[in-house]
Amino acid sequence: MNTLYIDRRCLLKLGLSSSVLASLPFACISLTRDVSAEFLQFISNSDLPVDEMRTGLLGQDEFDALTTLSRYVNQVWELGADMPLYFGRLRADLEFKTREAPSYLTEYENAVELFNLVLDSTSGLEQAWASLLFSGLDVENPESTKLGRARRFVFAELITHQIPVSGAFKSFGLWNYGGYFGGSYTAPESYRKGAV
Amino acid sequence: MQPIVIVGSGVAGVILARQLLKTGNDYQLTILEAGPEVRPGDYRIWLDQLMARGGDLYSAFLDDPSAENEEFGLRGSRLFVKGGTTNHWGGLTPRFKPEDFELKSRTGFGVDWPINYEDMAPYYAEAEILLGITGDSENDDPPRYGAKYPFPPTTFSLGDMLIIEALKSHDISYEHMSIARDGNRCITTGTCNYCPVNARYTALYDLTQLQDEYDDKLTLKTGTPVTKILMDGKKRTRGISFLDLETGATNSLEADVVIVCAGTIESAKLLLSSATKDWTDGIGNDSGHVGRHLIGHPVMDASGVRPGNPDKLDRELGFSSLISRHFDSPEYQHKGKMWFSGDVHSNLSLEQQILSNVSRPDMDTRMISEVRVSLGGEMEQFESPKNRVRLGGGITRHGLPTTEIEVGVHAINIETRREHMQTFVEILKAAGCTEDSIESGFRNPDGAHASSTCRMSSSDADGVVSPTLQVHGMDNLYVCSNAVFPSIAAANPTLTLSALAVRLAEEIAGA
Repeated sequence: MNTLYIDRRCLLKLGLSSSVLASLPFACISLTRDVSAEFLQFISNSDLPVDEMRTGLLGQDEFDALTTLSRYVNQVWELGADMPLYFGRLRADLEFKTREAPSYLTEYENAVELFNLVLDSTSGLEQAWASLLFSGLDVENPESTKLGRARRFVFAELITHQIPVSGAFKSFGLWNYGGYFGGSYTAPESYRKGAV
Repeated sequence: MQPIVIVGSGVAGVILARQLLKTGNDYQLTILEAGPEVRPGDYRIWLDQLMARGGDLYSAFLDDPSAENEEFGLRGSRLFVKGGTTNHWGGLTPRFKPEDFELKSRTGFGVDWPINYEDMAPYYAEAEILLGITGDSENDDPPRYGAKYPFPPTTFSLGDMLIIEALKSHDISYEHMSIARDGNRCITTGTCNYCPVNARYTALYDLTQLQDEYDDKLTLKTGTPVTKILMDGKKRTRGISFLDLETGATNSLEADVVIVCAGTIESAKLLLSSATKDWTDGIGNDSGHVGRHLIGHPVMDASGVRPGNPDKLDRELGFSSLISRHFDSPEYQHKGKMWFSGDVHSNLSLEQQILSNVSRPDMDTRMISEVRVSLGGEMEQFESPKNRVRLGGGITRHGLPTTEIEVGVHAINIETRREHMQTFVEILKAAGCTEDSIESGFRNPDGAHASSTCRMSSSDADGVVSPTLQVHGMDNLYVCSNAVFPSIAAANPTLTLSALAVRLAEEIAGA
């Protein structure tokens, strides 16, 4: 396992407290006075990804990185959705989010950068995503950190997209869900109807 | 060519414009809207709304924060934007009932309408087509005289059945909700607050289509709050003056006819702010009724938790398919009529549970362990003499005068809503909700269904506009908004307003 060396100041900028760190699968990250130059450079950059005017398309590598979140959620929560089918729709929808202002391009790039950083420091995808999604954010304004920002504008939004659009809600016995295109209300399968 | 100015781009102004343009007469229409443009049915806007679960799409179009009024809220209830408040409406479109037009005669409260249900019935039928309503054409309360809704009603959902069984156990009647959802477009995506396919009626989409159809006959000016009605003597208007929010300049526009479709609050304020030496207290206000009689709908909500949910009931359709008008009947009119609807849903969305790291087995257990049952209703408000709207001393961010409101809730309404709330509690208990889980609350009326500040009357001694919506004492000035309702009934007002707009267009075209 790779160990990432990090000091407390840098830890706070990332949005993690040392106490939370100790209790979560960030064991690979050690508190130290020695600082990885690469990591320091990354987290010392105070410019958060809020350049809404930077438009364009997400690269394939970045898109593939984000799809690992969808796969992780689909697998851990046993959603049973057809992921290749979903990724076609996701790709098209993320293009809508990046090709015109206000663009999410820098939000996604920030999220992928964080993901790659944590992935390099953990034992695998599941541990990386568990850390990115659920480790404590012990700061007053989480969105002032890159991790807090990625959680709100990327990770939470992607999962909120995935549940209806991939049809994942069906694994809970529901026929329709906010955001799913269920078809005409007169269609037999668009929602569960009662017998009167 | 006859220039006509319409003040306000909400449902009344847009339906009026559509009906006038349809006549083929040589009109040149200009609609002035205080708020900005927004795109209808835009996939990117919808995607943002979906992924952020709501977001703040409409926050820029709300009243100023200073407009908060504890007794009669404005902020959050109405929108200053192309298409007006239909951008965030639920789309519920019940007709008023025959007895609603005879409030004074039947109860002693308020006033009667100077027109009756029979007068309105054909216009209701036409408005139901224009708004694209799904509904039960076989339901003849109130009478439909054979008129068909353009789309069939939604079938009750499985969740509705839980509430229906509870209603049956108390002999409370129920019916299909009539609701403005285009049955050919609706894809039941449930994100109705911003519909990606324009299935829910909005004046925004209707007006956008109208602009395409009649680009040489119709002009829309956004960001142009109308500040004054310009007069030519006492009986005629010659147009309006407006502020251009982009340049800050005040401009004027000449017109043969001016129709004020600016909602209950702003329509009254525009008449008040247009005072002249001939109309010292505001246009049409020689008898002091402009701004008076303000009413809306007091709201009641109650919900409870039912243990056990073996059918995994949750909100699947995304909009209401069930309504009870049991208490919206002649027998209850003297106490304050009421309609209500119900919903069955989980407490926490699936994505919220995942983001809270609830495990799949725990989510499955939650799904079958309980379900929340909610009821919500609105009751008819009787006017209180002190209720009124007046001009404030400032200017809002939309370039309009600030608003002062004085209101009270009639003692009968306070008593009756307690009775209705007790009924809600009994229904929830019959639906299986535990008594200690039941929560309930009242909300005062707000700007969403505000009415009656320029009420319709046979004579100028009793109101502001004639039965044909012409301002008393004026030849070419009309008001078409909920402001002209003499009373509000226990029914959402948009269909009735739309029917009045159809009727007014016929009146103007025939004049």
